[in-house]
Amino acid sequence: MTHLKYLLLVSRQGKIRLTKWYAPLSPKEKAKIIKNLVPLILSRKAKMCNILEYSDHKVAYRRYASLYFICGITPDVDNELLTLEIIHKYVETMDQYFGNVCELDIIYNFTKAYDILNEMIMCDGSLAETSKTVVLKDVRTMDSMVGTDDLNRVLS
Amino acid sequence: MASSSTSSSKKAASSLKSFIKDVRGAKTLADERAIVTKQSAKVRTKLRDDHLSHSKRRTNIQKLLYLYILGEQTHFGQVECINLIASDDFVDKRLGYLSTSLLLDESEDLLTLLTNILSNDLNHPSNRYIVSLALNTLGSLTSIELARDLFPDVQKIIKHSKFNREPLIMKKCLQCLAKLITKDSSLLEILDLEVIEYCLDSNLFRMNHGVLLSISKLFQAILLSYDSISRNNDQYEIENYNTKVIPFISKYIPTLFEKLLGLMNDITPEFNVQGTADPFLQCDLIYTLTLFFNFPKEIDDISKHGDKFINVLIQVANNTSSTTGPGKVVLYETTRSIFSLKNFNETEMKPLYTLGINTLATFLKAKDNNTKYVALNSLVKVIPYDPESVQRHKKFILNCLNDHDISIKMRAIELLFAILNNGNLIELINEIMNFLENLYANQFKNFNDDWEKMIHLIIDSLIVAFKKFSIAEETGNPSDDSIWKLKILIKILKLVGNFIDMETINDILISFNNTENIDHKFQLISRMLLISLKPETLMDEIAENNIAWNIVSIWCLGEYSDSLLLNKNVAINHEVINEFTIASYLQKMDESYRIDKDVSAKTLIHYLLTSALKLSVKLNDKRCIENLRRLILNRTKDSDLMIQLKAVQYDILFNQPANVKKVLLSAMPIFENSSASPSIDTAATMEIKSGKTKKNDLLLDLLDYSTDELQEQKKEKPANLLQELLQPNTTNNNSSSTEQQQKPIITLPDDAKEIHSSENIEVYSKLISHEEGFFQMELYFKPLISINNLKTFCAVTKTQKLTLGQLFCSTTNNDTFPKHSIIRQSLKVTGTGKLKLRLKLTFESNDTGSELSEQFDHKFDQTL
Repeated sequence: MTHLKYLLLVSRQGKIRLTKWYAPLSPKEKAKIIKNLVPLILSRKAKMCNILEYSDHKVAYRRYASLYFICGITPDVDNELLTLEIIHKYVETMDQYFGNVCELDIIYNFTKAYDILNEMIMCDGSLAETSKTVVLKDVRTMDSMVGTDDLNRVLS
Repeated sequence: MASSSTSSSKKAASSLKSFIKDVRGAKTLADERAIVTKQSAKVRTKLRDDHLSHSKRRTNIQKLLYLYILGEQTHFGQVECINLIASDDFVDKRLGYLSTSLLLDESEDLLTLLTNILSNDLNHPSNRYIVSLALNTLGSLTSIELARDLFPDVQKIIKHSKFNREPLIMKKCLQCLAKLITKDSSLLEILDLEVIEYCLDSNLFRMNHGVLLSISKLFQAILLSYDSISRNNDQYEIENYNTKVIPFISKYIPTLFEKLLGLMNDITPEFNVQGTADPFLQCDLIYTLTLFFNFPKEIDDISKHGDKFINVLIQVANNTSSTTGPGKVVLYETTRSIFSLKNFNETEMKPLYTLGINTLATFLKAKDNNTKYVALNSLVKVIPYDPESVQRHKKFILNCLNDHDISIKMRAIELLFAILNNGNLIELINEIMNFLENLYANQFKNFNDDWEKMIHLIIDSLIVAFKKFSIAEETGNPSDDSIWKLKILIKILKLVGNFIDMETINDILISFNNTENIDHKFQLISRMLLISLKPETLMDEIAENNIAWNIVSIWCLGEYSDSLLLNKNVAINHEVINEFTIASYLQKMDESYRIDKDVSAKTLIHYLLTSALKLSVKLNDKRCIENLRRLILNRTKDSDLMIQLKAVQYDILFNQPANVKKVLLSAMPIFENSSASPSIDTAATMEIKSGKTKKNDLLLDLLDYSTDELQEQKKEKPANLLQELLQPNTTNNNSSSTEQQQKPIITLPDDAKEIHSSENIEVYSKLISHEEGFFQMELYFKPLISINNLKTFCAVTKTQKLTLGQLFCSTTNNDTFPKHSIIRQSLKVTGTGKLKLRLKLTFESNDTGSELSEQFDHKFDQTL
């Protein structure tokens, strides 16, 4: 069962690129996690494992080039190794969407990054779709609908 | 934006782009701050403008989202996000839903504004993506009200909507139902079971992974909701629980088996991850099935499939490759399932346990750190299921000590201590000591908090292990045990003594004290002292800040100097260890900890003073003794009150005749129970740390102490004068003897008020003086039966401080009080607030010999 608490995308320099909170946390708790957890993860060496305990939960993270994908997970419910695979799936899907995704794509098209994420993970951090093809098809169809919207307006 | 086609949205996009660019281009944090604040103000003003065009509105909401990502305040835009959803344009709706689900959370009152909009969109007649977005938002912003209001709408989509053949809509509906049920389990009452039937029985979604994942999610929510209801023990909810639903969904267990096993042979490239078919779905199905078989109530459709489930787990384990990442994910999930199953009997589970542990053990051999991490983590938890199987993989666990990752090392250590037993104690401890020695040899390279945590873990676990296990069985000689342990402890002190906390030092000292093999013990101690007492130039073997080593050396000198110097069985290097070096070592310690004022340094001084005092009867050299006297004398002016007090008392004792001192300062007896009573020095440090309030806490604590414990404490620490301060008053206290000799005749004064009476004892109080913040009174106890061993425990509220005087009685010399005798005790309270007293009395009846105790509270009229 996937029961993610949050997903954070953070650059090597500690800049936040994306945040999605699935667990009901207060703004204070969220700020604390960003303030304490992010430096902790950035300071970890490449050889260290990608799972750690933080506060009352666990964190699984992966680094892709300059970007860290950080997932807060529920102990004893989430499978830590599976969480790493979910991160990877998300990255793969974005890679296909943007075509060789890089940090800049995500910075400038953060709404797209959210759109893709929302098709994969829903509700309280539970995985709803594992097929890249399905996710991309749905996101792209929605993209094209936005286009026709504009077109309709021009025509009318 | 990739697909925007008109000029207005291009312009809008570029405005967002330039904002992002500006933020990124900022040279300093202050610059960035300025840009962000300016934009934030701008967005705020713009959004207030009712005539703003849709495209500009969207740009501003996007900027708002960017501000959100940056961690800025965004609450001012929340209503605007909801307004966007209400628009008819898909482009507005899409952004509106995205921003609403990000900027709002489940606790917000604003969510009521969403109810109607969501309900409309869920029932949208033509655009499935609008339904899909609405479901997404409902799933992430589920207040209880929204859950109750919209649950029927979601069910309606599955049953009647024209989209109910679309996997996109179905999976999201099911996910939402699951979330809504999690939010409010009473919704189960109105859960329409046909919904499940429709999704699983029809061939529409036979092998659609998204729908399967989501139905499995719904099952989880249903199964877990029962758990949470029964955990809360809410009778109403339990009675009203939809009792049909669990048996109903249990009918689908075979279907789930079929889907799971079907995945084993599935080679669809879409879902294949490095040769494993959809590990996500596999894990989810395993998890759901595990929940079924852990269901606390007996249900036929579940229990009759028990054997099959075990079989399925074994099949999955056998058919999954352990060499690829995704394969390991699935294998890990099966072990998690195996060790969480509760409803099977042991013979059924035994082979599974072995399978699980062996699977985890293969993970230990992996190169990948993450697999090692989860394996170690799981193994620690599963040892009780099958300790022998875990033992078999000792070698691999030991290998993990060489891993680069500290968290792996840490867990390996944890696991090693968990598999310790009498048989492998020597082997494993030696390995751990080697590990520590390597660390020491590398001078704790790259040292950080984690390392310190690990060393603490080793030390603490070692102390616990030494209390629990013995090497006697292995070597066949019981007396080897304590000597071997002492050797290890000395090594620990030497390597990591600067990490040892005070409590552990006490434990170590107790081990020293309780080791009975005197000759061996002295040999070890003399070796230790050889290092401590070495001339300055050679003193590089021990780290300068190794406080534990120093304390233990000091203590040993105080306890054993005389016997050590006279012992003929142990060869001692008298050049290094002699009266002169001993005294100068203490002086040196006194010097080096003169400035250091942290708690551990203060503790060291307490030990130092006691040692100096003890040595006054153990050394013969007049000059050395004089030096020690000066050492104590100097400390009588110490700025720390407790040290000063101790020094003053010791100074008096120091000047007593030798025969008086000898009795007081004789060697410590064997400690009976080392863990039950904190040593006086820790107690003293505790007090130093926490000040006044803590002292009151201590007094309150005393009320809960059993008398046994108190007596035990006394027995253990004969020479601790400080202890008086912490111990409750007892009439047989040594130091009160002088006062008792004067013994004025005590009678019950006329103005004493009765504050408590029972068939055994009456208690009176008399006010002596009362000023602002200071209150003094006397308590009188009048036993109505003959009693002995009276102890009074007294506590006041936390804002006050209490000083209890001695118990005085004129009619008796010992601690036996005849019937109707009067016992007086003075009492001072300082502080603020209403004066309230809690009193506990314990005594023994002389007639029946039984122990009695009474406790009562009394409120006084006076306020401090």
